[in-house]
Amino acid sequence: MARPQTDVLQGTLDLLILKALSLTPMHGWGLSQRLEQISREVLQVNPGSLYPALERLQDRGWISAEWRQTENNRRAKYYSLTKVGLRQLGVETDAWRRFVGAVDEILRTT
Amino acid sequence: MSISNWATRRLRALLHRDVLEADMNDELRLHFELAVADGVRRGLSSEQATAETRRYFGGVEQVKETYRDARGVRVIEELLRDVRYGFRALRRTPGFSIVVLLTLTLGIGANSAIFSVVRGVLLRALPYADPHRLVMVWEIDRDSGTQSENASIPDYFDFAARARSFSSLAAFAEQPLNYVATDGAPERVSAALVSGNFFPALGVPTTLGRGFSDAEDRPGGPRAVIVSDRFWRTRLGGARDVLGRILRLDEVSYAVVGVVPRTMQFPTAEIDLWVPLQLTPESGERSSHGIAVVGRLRSNVTIGAAQQEMTSLASQLEREYPRDNKARGVRLEQLEDTLLGPVRPALRILLGAVALVLLVACVNVANLMLARLTARGREVAVRSALGASGLRLTRQFVIESLILTLAASALALGLAPLTLRALVALAPGTLPRLNEVRLDGTVLAVTLGVAFAVAMAFGVLPAIASRGWGVSLNDHLRGGQRGGASPHQQRVRGALVMSEMALALVLLVGAALLMQSFWKLRRVDLGWSSTNVLRVQFQLPSTRYPQSYAGYPRSWSRILDFQRELLAQSAALPGARSAALASNDPLDPGFTNSFVIEGREAEARNGQAELATRPVSANYFGTLGIPLQQGRGFQSSDDANAAPVVLINEAAARKYFPTESAVGHRVRFWGTWRTIVGVVGNERFAGLAAEPPPAMYPPITQAPVASASLLIRTSGDPLQLSGVVRDVFRQVDPGIAPYGIASMTEVIDSSIAQRRFTMQLLAGFAALALGLALIGVYGVVSYGVARRTHEIGVRMALGATRNDVVRHVLRDGSRLACYGALLGALGALAATRLLSTQLYGVKSSDPVTLAVAAGAIVVIAIVGSYVPARRAARIAPVTALQIE
Repeated sequence: MARPQTDVLQGTLDLLILKALSLTPMHGWGLSQRLEQISREVLQVNPGSLYPALERLQDRGWISAEWRQTENNRRAKYYSLTKVGLRQLGVETDAWRRFVGAVDEILRTT
Repeated sequence: MSISNWATRRLRALLHRDVLEADMNDELRLHFELAVADGVRRGLSSEQATAETRRYFGGVEQVKETYRDARGVRVIEELLRDVRYGFRALRRTPGFSIVVLLTLTLGIGANSAIFSVVRGVLLRALPYADPHRLVMVWEIDRDSGTQSENASIPDYFDFAARARSFSSLAAFAEQPLNYVATDGAPERVSAALVSGNFFPALGVPTTLGRGFSDAEDRPGGPRAVIVSDRFWRTRLGGARDVLGRILRLDEVSYAVVGVVPRTMQFPTAEIDLWVPLQLTPESGERSSHGIAVVGRLRSNVTIGAAQQEMTSLASQLEREYPRDNKARGVRLEQLEDTLLGPVRPALRILLGAVALVLLVACVNVANLMLARLTARGREVAVRSALGASGLRLTRQFVIESLILTLAASALALGLAPLTLRALVALAPGTLPRLNEVRLDGTVLAVTLGVAFAVAMAFGVLPAIASRGWGVSLNDHLRGGQRGGASPHQQRVRGALVMSEMALALVLLVGAALLMQSFWKLRRVDLGWSSTNVLRVQFQLPSTRYPQSYAGYPRSWSRILDFQRELLAQSAALPGARSAALASNDPLDPGFTNSFVIEGREAEARNGQAELATRPVSANYFGTLGIPLQQGRGFQSSDDANAAPVVLINEAAARKYFPTESAVGHRVRFWGTWRTIVGVVGNERFAGLAAEPPPAMYPPITQAPVASASLLIRTSGDPLQLSGVVRDVFRQVDPGIAPYGIASMTEVIDSSIAQRRFTMQLLAGFAALALGLALIGVYGVVSYGVARRTHEIGVRMALGATRNDVVRHVLRDGSRLACYGALLGALGALAATRLLSTQLYGVKSSDPVTLAVAAGAIVVIAIVGSYVPARRAARIAPVTALQIE
């Protein structure tokens, strides 16, 4: 189980969750799996960070949650993006790009 | 939107805690199982997959904790748990809880009651439009030193015409009127004669009808009256069609034109009727000061600027009318100060005193909390060992004290209507605006604020104490049964009791000073004997009793006839020994007059103080028991046709004739020379506390007055004559309503009713504080005894007698009391200076009072220590040692 792992940067987790949920509503496990898959298993999302983050995003009104059946007929809490969350995703993405661009610029020139 | 979202989610989290908890468990379980299934799918055994998932989870319980934290209800949940725990803890020690509850209820209840009165009387804005712009316009007399004199009518008109600082100046004069209901006997009603602009100037609207019209305020204009809400309800049946109804007042018909609200209590609370003055500048002499003036400042004019203008206006008038306005000035006073100034000191003292009581209560409760803390030492130690943070423990204590104070406030507020009613009943009728005293939002808010502050104070204290003294688990678990407080803690408790004693002493000294003042005042030498004297007041209407000075004395004959007849019939009543008439009853200062002594006209011109003047009937001095010291008294021959005579009192004789006999000299006032035929003893004119002023007494036959007091010396209870006296009036003139029927003892009592009120309340507060201090001493000393059971046992085993032990314990208590008394004496010296305006015949720093009160405190302490001392003495050495 030598999975190379990197803890998600604090603050970026919110962005990643918003992005992942913009595709389709998901439950907690699915969400963490999706994040790991997309990042080719580079990023691992610990439940201890994931669920508080989900609570936080609900507080802000960016995502909502509802209980539904999974395809295997299990009861699960599905999270989905709200309209506000969608708008926020754009804002956060821009901010992130600016940030990464700035850091990249610094790394290249110094 | 985000905030409301947050709030609703928190509320939901709070209300559906269990559901959310179950949901969380479901969600995490699913996550866990899916992670394990994923491991198995990757080829791990189910054990390996489970172990890996557990690692990856990093502790399921911790995940749950962070999850809960994010849900953000932990704080609230813990708070609720603390509250529940607090209730349980308080129920475990019912004795403690009840004592604290009662102590706090007393303290908070007394405070909210007194505050209600202070708020209703002092703090609430006067019920007039922009009340801060209303000022009284007093005239002053630099010669006599009078600071608050009425204006003369011509002066008033000059003020109104020339002053620019006021948007309006209104005049008024109190004047009781005889009111005859259509079907009944005449009765006297308090009334005020007012200028037409009186109500607009005050900014008082009519609740029904209108104010006075210009025509109604002109001499000879239509007769109009505005009635009080009370009069409208009780005498006119509260009918809405009262407008235009005719009232017979002093035998003249007036039409009701308006009703004013209940809060309109100006010039006094008793006024039921307002009637136009119908003045012109010629209505009165410039030398006669009969009307009060109230003004409304323009919105941009300060009282200081207005005062400047009026001062220069007064000097103008002084130049223009040197004869009448010599040494006259004007003084402006905020209306609020005029109305409330007299009661402010007493109410502030009461508020201060009741705050002290609360402080004593708090100290007591803090003390009890500390004692309880010691008993809970183990609990605290165990809880902190189990990880309860200092903050958490502090919160626990604060919550417990909040529970207690809030319960006490609820009790106090529940009882408030009762205490308020009792307080209002106890309060003297002279206290203005008593009908505005009630429990309102402000009182409620202040009570709760005080309660909150109190809870914080004695909730945080034990928490600090428990930390400062390093409550350690070790000590407590090892200290075991003795569970003793550290010597440090006992010292703090001692200090608390000491300050309690000191506070109680301050109150005790204050109460003792007021009591002494009251007793001294009650027994002051009046200069006349007040027992068995009935007073009856009356006023003769000018309709049938002409009162023009033009045709004096013939024009007054109706009045003189009435008075002669009244005196004769009253004196003949069974049970009456003698009867007399006076323009004012003995405690009413009445009026003062300027005068000239024959041959000493220069003195009068250079300004000399006026003399109190009291026209009386011949037997006034005999009836009241005022001794004749020189010359002769009045005789029946001193009538309207005889040579004018006058008596002066001892104070006047001493002041104006220090080296010679006054008898035989002539004085002039009211335009007549009068011969001084005798000197009588001093009589208190202006209430019990004021020294008798120089005074003169003309015979009422030679200086007739239309309103007077009939004084009857009786052989038995004077009030038994009140019925037959009314009959006498009916016989002499059925149109006249006697009023103010009371024994002189009652009159004296009501003149000091406000002092009695202050004294009684302060005495009550002092008693309360003493009681609390007693409990405090008892608590600390008996606790000390319990803590030292072992030590006392050893002492006794080593040969100490029971008396030694008792003495030892008593010494503990009295040492606290002595320090407390010392501290309190210093406090009392500082605090009682605020009392000095309320004192009579005793200094605020009276050493005897201080010493006696301090002694009482020590005695209280010894009483409080005695029971625990006896308990200590009964300790059997063997048992005490076996406890170990």
